[in-house]
Amino acid sequence: MEKVIFYLLAIIMVASAIASVSSRRMLRSVVYLLFVLIGAAGLYFLMDYNFLAAIQLTVYAGGIVVLIIFSVLLIQHIEMELEIAKSSRRWFSALLCLMGLSIFLGTIYSHPFAVAETTSTTTVAEIGRALLSFEKGGFILPFEVISILLLAAMIGAITIAKGGKEIKQEVPESLDIDKILQDAKQQAEEKVMELESSTKN
Amino acid sequence: MGSEAIIVFFLAGVVLVAGANFLSNLISPKSDNPQKREPYESGMTTIGPTWVQFKVGYYLFAILFLIFDVEVAFLVPWAVVFGEMGSIALVEILIFLFILGLGLAYAWKKGALKWE
Repeated sequence: MEKVIFYLLAIIMVASAIASVSSRRMLRSVVYLLFVLIGAAGLYFLMDYNFLAAIQLTVYAGGIVVLIIFSVLLIQHIEMELEIAKSSRRWFSALLCLMGLSIFLGTIYSHPFAVAETTSTTTVAEIGRALLSFEKGGFILPFEVISILLLAAMIGAITIAKGGKEIKQEVPESLDIDKILQDAKQQAEEKVMELESSTKN
Repeated sequence: MGSEAIIVFFLAGVVLVAGANFLSNLISPKSDNPQKREPYESGMTTIGPTWVQFKVGYYLFAILFLIFDVEVAFLVPWAVVFGEMGSIALVEILIFLFILGLGLAYAWKKGALKWE
C-alpha cells in the first residue's frame, strides 16, 4: 500500500517538475515548483521523518516559494512569455541532462541497497532533547549558533536591500499616473477652449 | 490502515474537485458578451497591462518572513520537550530569542519595517 502512495507522490512530483521547466510563464513555473516541494514533504511523511516534513512544508513550500514569487513579481514584463530556445541549445542541454541522469542512475544501481531490519524513526521530542541538551552529544551550541546565523542573514538582507541609497523604481510611461492625468487635463482644457470659441461664433 | 486512508483521501480530493468543476461546467448557464468581459460595469476602461512591477519593499518583508519562519521551525522541537526540561530549556530559548530579537531591533532601527 505504501508503494501506491509513493508512486502517487512520485507521479505528482515528476509531472509538476516537467511542467515547471517546460511552462513558458514564470509564475506558473513557480506554482508547479510548489507542488514538487509539497510532494517531497509527502515523501518525508511516508518515511516517518515528521520533523523534516514539517520543515519542508513551512520553510520550502511556505517561505522559499513566497520569496521566489516575490522575485518573479519584481520583474517588469511578467506577462511576457519566455522564448523558446534554439534547437542546437536544446540538444546540448538535453545531452547534458542525459549525462547527469546516467551518472545519477549509475551511482544508484552500483550501490547495494538493503532493506533495513530495524526501522526506527526520530521523533520531534528526541530532536528537541538533543538540541537543548548541553551534556555530551548535545547540540546546544549549534542551536544557539543557528540564531546568530539567522541574525547575520537578516542583517545582510537588510543591508543589501536598503543599502543607504534609495532604490528608484522605473515607472513605464504608460503607467505614469501623473503624466496620464496631465495629458487628460490638457486635452480637456483644449476641448473647453474649442467649445467656448465655437459658441461665441 | 494508515496508507489506505491516505489513498482514499487523495482520491476523494481529486474526485471532489474535478467533479465539482465538471458539474459546474455542465450545469451552469453560460453567456458571453463584450460587457461581461469588462472589469467593471461602469467607469474607466483600464490602461496598460494588468501586470505591474511590484514594489521592491515587498522583497525585504519576504526575506524577514523567511528568517522568522526558520526560527519558528526551531521553536517546535523546543516546545515539545519544554514540559520535561523545565527552566533550563527556558533559559536556552531565551538566549536564542534574544539574539534573534537583536536582528528585529536592527531591522526596526534601519527602518526596514517601515512602509514607504
